[in-house]
Amino acid sequence: MVNLNGIPPRGKRNYYLAIGLEGSANKLGVGIIKHPVLEKHEDSDLSYECDVEILANIRDTYVTPPGEGFLPRDTARHHRNWVVRIIRKALTEAKIDDPTKIDVICFTRGPGMGAPLHCVVIAARTLSLMWDIPLVGVNHCVGHIEMGREITGAKNPVVLYVSGGNTQVIAYSEKRYRIFGETLDIAIGNCLDRFARTLKIPNAPSPGYNIEQLAKQCKNKEKLVVLPYTVKGMDLSMSGILQYIDTLAKDLFKKNLKNKLLFDSRTGEQLVTVEDLCYSLQENLFAMLVEITERAMAHVNSNQVLIVGGVGCNVRLQEMMAQMCKDRSNGQVHATDDRFCIDNGVMIAQAGLLEYRTGHFVKDLSETIVTQKFRTDEVYIAWRE
Amino acid sequence: MSAEIIASIADVLTDNIPLTPISQGAEAVVFTSPVHPYLPKNRTDGDDKLYILKYRPEKKYRHPVIDKTLTKHRTLGESRLLAKLRLIDGLNVPKLIGCDPYHGCIWLEFLGEDLPNGHGFSNLKNFLWMNASDPYSDLVRDTMINVGKQIGLMHWNDYCHGDLTTSNIVLVRAGEDWQPYLIDFGLGSISTLVEDKGVDLYVLERAIISTHSSFANRYNLWVLEGFKSVFESHGKAGLGKYKDLIRRFEEVRLRGRKRSMIG
Repeated sequence: MVNLNGIPPRGKRNYYLAIGLEGSANKLGVGIIKHPVLEKHEDSDLSYECDVEILANIRDTYVTPPGEGFLPRDTARHHRNWVVRIIRKALTEAKIDDPTKIDVICFTRGPGMGAPLHCVVIAARTLSLMWDIPLVGVNHCVGHIEMGREITGAKNPVVLYVSGGNTQVIAYSEKRYRIFGETLDIAIGNCLDRFARTLKIPNAPSPGYNIEQLAKQCKNKEKLVVLPYTVKGMDLSMSGILQYIDTLAKDLFKKNLKNKLLFDSRTGEQLVTVEDLCYSLQENLFAMLVEITERAMAHVNSNQVLIVGGVGCNVRLQEMMAQMCKDRSNGQVHATDDRFCIDNGVMIAQAGLLEYRTGHFVKDLSETIVTQKFRTDEVYIAWRE
Repeated sequence: MSAEIIASIADVLTDNIPLTPISQGAEAVVFTSPVHPYLPKNRTDGDDKLYILKYRPEKKYRHPVIDKTLTKHRTLGESRLLAKLRLIDGLNVPKLIGCDPYHGCIWLEFLGEDLPNGHGFSNLKNFLWMNASDPYSDLVRDTMINVGKQIGLMHWNDYCHGDLTTSNIVLVRAGEDWQPYLIDFGLGSISTLVEDKGVDLYVLERAIISTHSSFANRYNLWVLEGFKSVFESHGKAGLGKYKDLIRRFEEVRLRGRKRSMIG
């Protein structure tokens, strides 16, 4: 059993306050949350029932023009320019006049892009010294998982974490979030983003969302463009699929009549549209994801799935997952909406506060060094049984 | 097991084939049947023989085009692998009886039996549980060495299993002894990479540690002893390969099954 009330809140209050700063990719997020002190947390395994109250959840996304991705230095500049304004806005929205009342400042320690991570951690260190508040470094992936558990109330799910930089199937076992399957090369969000760049479709609100909308408009759903299907045991590989569909799209734009998949060899009639390509790509990628999730579920004998991460907002993915769970005896799928799926500060605050409440926080500033590569299974999960 | 899967298999087969489901994995359902898929009923080799049907049901979540190609591809791949492995002298795998790639059916011979005193089916996992009271007996030692030999033989011929666990090794009684058979090649492959073989060994080691932790050390040593003996019998070349493999196995053990993402 775990005691989550080991460290009492500041100023003898009956609630904890935490602020979370997230900036591992192109989103800069600041979240402020409140946990009431509950007696049931003294000796239990109820870390998914914190009765969290979200006081502020502010996010600002660095959006690039169509056909371009976000570069680390530009993203870092965006974060530098906005971090103070966003923190001020969050404090105002949470109606916190005296920030020194906050129990803990949580920041993303990794994984992510180096330059943006650095900008945010500098802000976090400054606040910590200025207001004399302890710091907690949070693994971004664990942040997603803990927020998903808290919002959906899923007790011990198999987690599918799909975002721009990560694709992992995770299950909890013996104080770690163990990775059962993952991508061997690029992440699913990266694959979708890069295809969106080839198509030159807008990056706002997110490239994946625009691909989803295009896929919905596909008129030719029976005839699928066949793409490589690369599940390798519990892992998957997506770089080859991207390369293949990129070539198809480029041939389509160039009107390369030699490509018999796209154009009728005699009449030169176009057989495939951009919408068809988007639809086929989604169907193919998501089938792979659902398959490895099912493998993990069979392996750990679980019937709950939690989808987290930016790509987790995709309705089609949620639908396919729900169908799979239905076919496995009375399974459930848990998913959250874009407020919590897409990177945000609240999730960092949630995971960080749980860690703080079990007595783990930064004792010296040298422990706040951020890292680009930080695996999910490196984190000791003190707050679960 | 949902009734839908049983209904869908009924569409593929004729009515006179009784099926009993025995296990459900992520991808396939396994049935036993007393009826041979194509031989006449009144055979001479005894009528109590059972056959295995491994059926890959349709997955409704994925697009029908993807589903059909995958089912066909995987059923065919597994059957081919089994047929090739069967040709290797000394390697024990179930005999392939029939394969219907378009409907995802593989027919195999039934192996194993029920262990005495209600210890369940005779796979390695249950066998080790049964012998937990005398874990270091000669019988267990010989069996584990034989398991190692089977894996060694498979790896020496450049095949990988992909999912070596103690429940995927079935023991068949041969007089007083038990002969191990490798089953379920759903994730199997032909590979010359030491990485794949190292991962195979690592997965088995983890499986033994997680189910039989108190005696796992000795068990794993025995498996490796049998494994080594196969390579040793091929002289210098064999020993060289063995050393490469064990070096990689130790690497895999240090970092876990997954690649390290540090640095």
